[in-house]
Amino acid sequence: MSVRINLHPNLYQFTNNQAVVEVNGSTVGECLSDLVKQFPRIKPGLFGKDGKLLNYVDIYVNYESSYPEELARPVKDGDELHITLIIAGG
Amino acid sequence: MIGGFGQEGQEKLKQARVFIAGAGGLGSPAATYLTAAGVGVIRIVDHDRVELSNLNRQVLHWQEDIGKRKGDSAAQKLKKLNREVKVEAIEEMITEANISQLVSGFDLIVDAMDNMPTRYLLNKVALEKNIPFFHGAVYGFEGRAMTIIPGKTACLRCVYRGVIPEEKFPVIGVTPAVIGCIQATEVIKYIVGIGQLLTNKLLVYDGLNMKFAEFRLKKDPNCEHCGELVRGKK
Repeated sequence: MSVRINLHPNLYQFTNNQAVVEVNGSTVGECLSDLVKQFPRIKPGLFGKDGKLLNYVDIYVNYESSYPEELARPVKDGDELHITLIIAGG
Repeated sequence: MIGGFGQEGQEKLKQARVFIAGAGGLGSPAATYLTAAGVGVIRIVDHDRVELSNLNRQVLHWQEDIGKRKGDSAAQKLKKLNREVKVEAIEEMITEANISQLVSGFDLIVDAMDNMPTRYLLNKVALEKNIPFFHGAVYGFEGRAMTIIPGKTACLRCVYRGVIPEEKFPVIGVTPAVIGCIQATEVIKYIVGIGQLLTNKLLVYDGLNMKFAEFRLKKDPNCEHCGELVRGKK
């Protein structure tokens, strides 16, 4: 299943400046695994050493927060994910 | 005349007491436009002093203010802009110990901070005291805004659970100008009682590509700040 992931600009450095990456997967977690498979350097930008999603990374599926299911949240062909990072400047 | 606003709307603004946490990049435009709009009382809290590096975005502070306390510098300009508005500057760091007293007596809280821990304190006190809370944050060309109505809508902690690792947040000055004005717009609409608020929504502004996106949010029943367990303890 093809899903488009829109990346936060801080992650472009890991994807050869690609803002959008096409991945395959039936859950958010599988989609992120495919993203990491395509761009291994992105992994520490998304996951901690314990393998859990970093707590300042948020995932939206079709513009809706994926929390609390997050990685287990099912996705379907044509869905759009956004990976956002907390921003805190003022 | 703006529909639904009129003299009655202006009177409502005059009666309002707005607490602004931070006199920096977000606080400068938010405070400026709320003062210009004729809000009755503004309390602006900041413990920092003006530095040269602030001047690209913190437009209430000028070159001649370098070294001055930001609260004083901001209050001085705001009073000149509209002397009908009572502006109080408080030169304190917002902490868990003083936050309840600082916001006491205020109708709305504007988040113009530069760090997540203080934002979480503001979110929590806003929920405890049932005070509407207007969040904004920026980084580079990116900005975000959301409005929280305690007990009714998703709160900041429903959306964010973490803290970004300690770092400087580089910002192009126009980004907080956009977001601070959005926060001021939300405040004015709330006070006057018109329009649609950014509740249960996170507005994301991408200045580089000049796009706005809206992400839909839900109240988290297990939220540390507003979830059922927390409410049950009260």
